Order: sequence, then structure tokens, then C-alpha cells
Amino acid sequence: MFHALVAIKQVPDTTNIRIDPDTGNLVREGVPAIMNPYDAHALAAAVEWKRKLNGRVTVISMGPPSFTTTLREAIELGADRAILLSDRKFAGADTLATSYVLAEVIRAVHSDDPVDLIFFGKQAIDGDTAQVGPGVAVRLDFPIVTYAVNVRAIDLNEATIVVERKTERWTEVVETPLPALVTCEKEIAAIPFAPLPDLIKSLRYDPEIWTLAGPVEFAADEIGVRGSPTIVYQMGTPPLPEAGEKINTREAGVSATLDLVFKKAEDAGVLDAMLGGAQ
Amino acid sequence: MNSERIEFDAVVVGAGLAGAAAAMVMARGGLNVALVERGQKPGGKNYFGGAIYTHAIAELVPDFMDRRPPFERPVTEAGFWFLARDGLTRMTVQGGELNADPADAYITLRANFDAWWAQQAQEAGALLIPKTTVVDFLRKQTGEVVGVVTDRPQGEIHAPVVIICEGVNNLLAQKLGLIDHDLEPATLALAFKQVISLPMETINARFGLQDEHHGLAASVLGDVSLGLPGMGFVYTNKGSISIGLGMMLDQLAEYRLRPYDILQRYLDHPAIAPLVQGGQLLEYGGHLIPEGGYHAMPKLYTDGAMIAGDAAAMVNALHWEGTNMAIIAGKLAAETALEAHSRGDFTARVMSRYEDRLGEGFILKDLKQYRGFSRFLETHPQFMDVYPNFLNDSLGQFFSAYGKPKKELFNGMLGALTNRRSLIRAAGDIVSMARSVMGW
Repeated sequence: MFHALVAIKQVPDTTNIRIDPDTGNLVREGVPAIMNPYDAHALAAAVEWKRKLNGRVTVISMGPPSFTTTLREAIELGADRAILLSDRKFAGADTLATSYVLAEVIRAVHSDDPVDLIFFGKQAIDGDTAQVGPGVAVRLDFPIVTYAVNVRAIDLNEATIVVERKTERWTEVVETPLPALVTCEKEIAAIPFAPLPDLIKSLRYDPEIWTLAGPVEFAADEIGVRGSPTIVYQMGTPPLPEAGEKINTREAGVSATLDLVFKKAEDAGVLDAMLGGAQ
Repeated sequence: MNSERIEFDAVVVGAGLAGAAAAMVMARGGLNVALVERGQKPGGKNYFGGAIYTHAIAELVPDFMDRRPPFERPVTEAGFWFLARDGLTRMTVQGGELNADPADAYITLRANFDAWWAQQAQEAGALLIPKTTVVDFLRKQTGEVVGVVTDRPQGEIHAPVVIICEGVNNLLAQKLGLIDHDLEPATLALAFKQVISLPMETINARFGLQDEHHGLAASVLGDVSLGLPGMGFVYTNKGSISIGLGMMLDQLAEYRLRPYDILQRYLDHPAIAPLVQGGQLLEYGGHLIPEGGYHAMPKLYTDGAMIAGDAAAMVNALHWEGTNMAIIAGKLAAETALEAHSRGDFTARVMSRYEDRLGEGFILKDLKQYRGFSRFLETHPQFMDVYPNFLNDSLGQFFSAYGKPKKELFNGMLGALTNRRSLIRAAGDIVSMARSVMGW
């Protein structure tokens, strides 16, 4: 039976986030917490395949107990089981420590109930690093397909998957053996309006809370702040870009405008790069 | 795929004040209750002035003060403000009854209060199902309601009794034939307000309130609604002011008035502007209020269903009552549902006990008594214009020294009235006001 695992993160809704101009920190007060949108789309894809292949979906997350709201939402969206890694000692983790903890948890889930395919969002909208998914794949030694826009086929008999991934130039179609890990763009699947039985199930569901006490053992120096070599040097708001120069082509003429644009690109040393993209 | 049948002992449509009250009482009575709410959270779609009366809350949750309700301030000063074109006469009461602890009424914001209220229903065991809209009923071939249909896939919920607390926009009541027509603008007020943030100390100073444990609730008559029937209000929250007004929807439409223009004009009034000056706009919103009164009420029950709250037009416009009626009506409907369950009979015969219960308390009595009030202000526009100005002018004269014989002054004051309205007519206005309030 098909078993998908989805890693999700709860994030502040950055569509209405503010930065404290004095401290440079995020103002979290009054900002609603949501499921990271890329993760929600990844979950939707996992649930689509669960329904096609009559399988099941496990979601995992790491964070404070308030993350249970988002894990319940994952059940509403069609997940069958939700595990939250929650322990004060996990706090302050960077992408290295986070990928360590998630990989250990996935290993534990996998050994009980083998996982065929792991879904991550391509990145979280608060940190925007896009590092945790790939980090987990490396730790588990699973093949990875990043920026996936479509899972075209899953063949459980052959243990292969065909995934379309988006690059700046074109769409690549990748076939890879299972178990594998994909990180997903929003196009991977639309978030469904959950059936009422799934919603009711989620309202009565309590996610499993895993802590340092078990069931998985973690190396103390690889978790939380101790396991996180990243140092945040400074946070702040980037200056607003200055408005560009505007040229009225009707007054200046098209060819004169083009000459001017090429000249400016040459002066700035970016002409080759600019032309490099044109065919 | 899931294909299980979803069954409950009762379904409540809408987790507002009436709905959560009904769910709370039924859950405590041992029923398995689904409380279906279309918003993200209870209260997310609700709005009022406003203050909430504690008598109704206490009837369901006697220890409510221990459960940390999200109140802003108690109402320790209440009354009328008569707004003249260039002045303001305040007639408010403080102390006495209003010093009770807990207070008779607390100023609150619905988004906060309703969430807390629904929480009480959840703690009693009701299952709150958010983000789900009931769109129709499940009915037997013979017509009895046996559940609801929601907008979700596989969205049917089976239950032998449904309590409809869908709010003012009573689409389900129409669907069920409890009322035979769509909403009528002439029976609806549109109330709209701004919530304006100000420091707590500034609010206390401007409104003469001792501290944040004292609050003002004022009904504002006069130069608020352009001489049309309508009433303004001012409520002091902890760190903000709720200020707005209600007007009849048909008249807003007829005169092509834009609510925000009228509200802005009110906020710019020379007696109001200093109260909100320097404040930051936190919120602007509005909501319909069913002010049609007794005559606009739907049939209150049918086989397998009852209706409560705004959906049943349970509002006493003059006294700003509605939230308390909703809570009590929800409770009475729930008691009827419990009775139906114990008898195993969900027909209209048992449901009619709901109307009996409503008749025994204040709700139907008050709504009957005030049945004439809903159009009173419309037929007596002088209450929005003549009297507030008269009051302001005459009091202004009374407290001025003109260096003239007082007899001239009193004649002048009388003239200030009779120029605007003959004494006979003024006497008649008082009589008809009394008639509409007393229900004669």
C-alpha cells in the first residue's frame, strides 16, 4: 500500500507581516499562523495520490505545541496520521539541525511502516532557504527532485516515480526509483475543499507529540541551538529599490531607445548576460 | 473514500450567540451536538455596537466571570446623547444599578466574545464544525427535517432536530418555508461603525471615566442620521472607541446614501470630533439588524426544526436588545430539543413547546409590546431634528445670563419649540411615543 510522508511547517502569514523598524525583528503579535503554503500544496498532492492508490499519508512537523493547529488542518486536508516533534531542546534549530531531526523521525516512521515518497514544500515562506528538504534527502540517501510541478506517475510495482520539475528554461521530466523525496511548487496540486468526514475527523484528532524522551533518540549536540552552526548576523528591511528611469519611446523613438538600453547595459557590464538569455 | 454516514443527536446552524447557547444546553443535557459555523471562527462574521447583557449569560454560565470572558469594560454610565446641529446635550445615568458587580452589561467586541461563548459550548461537549456552510435540509418524504446538507463534499449531517441560528440573512428559514418572502429592506437596519484606537488614559479623560473598569454606552439621537430614522451609538472599549449608527436599509437605498459618508459626517460633528481626535482607525464594518419586530418574525418551528436569534427577528431596537434574546431563545429551543429527545417525538407538536416557552419569558412579551416601534421614528422625524435642537437651544438659554427679564427668556425657550412644532403636536408625539413603547 502506498505510504506518503509530508513534512510541514507552521509559519506566520507573511502576506501581512511587519518588521519592527527599530529592532529589525518580525512582529509576530497578531499575525495569524498558517500552514506554509508550499507544504499545503505538497500535502494536497500526497492526498491526491493516496486516493488514487488507496494509500495513506503521514505528516510530520517540528515546533512548539501551538503547531497542533496546523497538524489538525493537515488531517482535515486528508492526512491519516500526524506527528509533532516538540521539545524545548529542539528550539533555535537552523536548517542543519532541523534536517537532522526530521531525517531521524522519518527513519523511525520508515522502519515501522515503509515510506514510498516524501513530500516537502519547495521552501518555507518565513525563512525561504529551501534547504531542509534537500538536507533530509542527503541524510536519508534518497534521490531528490526539487521544484516539482507535477507527479506524473507512481509505479509501486517497479518502485519508480516520474516527476516534472520546473527550471528557469524548461520543464524537466525525471524518473527516479522509490523511495524518493520531492520538494514542491504550488502547481503540484490544488488545495481541496475538504470533505466533511475529514474535517470532523480532524476536529477530534490529537496529533502524536514526540519529544526528546522518545520514541526516537537524538544526539544532543546535533539538535536545537547546539546543533545549529548558523549565526544570524543582522536582520533588517532592505531599502526599497529606486524607481527606474523611464523613457517615452514615442518621443525618443524605438531604435534610439534600444541603443540607449544597450549602451547602459554595456556600461554596467551586463550586456552579455542580458543577450545570453535571448535566442 | 470516506462514505460513513455522519449522525448527531442535534445540529445547530450558526455558532453565534443563539447557536452556541443552544449547543451548550443540549450538550449539557447529554446530546451529541454538531455546531456548524460558516466562518473561520465563531464570531468571525458577527458585528454589533456594542454591549452584551449579563443576565442572559449568567442564566447559562453562572460562573461566567471566573471563565475570563473577553469583556472590554462594564457599562457604568448609560443614556442618551442628543446631538443638535452645533451642540450636544447628554442625559446619562451612572452609579446606582450600574455599579453592580458583575455589571448588567459589558462592552465587548463580537469577534472576541463569540469565540469565548462558543468555547463554553465546546467545553460542554458540543462539536464545533467551522468553515462549513449549511445550504439545505435533509427531509423525510413527509417533510420532517432530519438533518442538514452542507457545502462540503459528503456534507450531509443526519440529526432528528435542527436549530436554525443562521443570523439575519435567513436563507434557510426561507428554504424551509418558515417565512414566505425574502428579506425586506423596510424591516432591516444597516448598522455601521468604526473602531478607533486611543490610549486608555485618553479615553478615560475624554469621557470622564475613572479608569478602565468604567465604561460608557450612549445612544445618540439627533444630528446623526440626516433627519432620517436612525440612532447613533458610542461605546468605550479598553483601548478603543466603537462609534457608529444604524439606519433603515430602505431609506439608505431610497436617498442613495453611502454609510461611510454619513458616518464620517457624524465623526466630524463639532461635539464628536474632539472625542475621537488623534485616534487610529482599527476597523470599519457593518451588519444588518432585523428590526421588523413582532410582525416580521417567521414561524418559529416546524417538524424537526426551530429557529432562534436574528434569524427569527428577535431584536428590540429601542433598547439595543437582541443578543440577550438570542441567548435565551437558543436555550429555550435547546430545552425543547431535549424534551423531544426524551419523548422520542420530534414533530411540530413537541416543537411548539418552544413558542410556549418564549411566550412565558420576556422575549415574545417585549416583541409584542414594541411591535409598533419599528416604524415609529420613520413617522416621527421630529425626534431626529426638532427635539434634539430644541433641547440644546433651550438648555443653552437656561444656563446663559442675557441681562433680560427671565420671563422673556422662558417665552423665548417656548418659542424655540413652538416655532418648530406646535405644543399640541409635541404632546401628541409624546403620547404616540408612549403608545409604541407600551404597546397600546
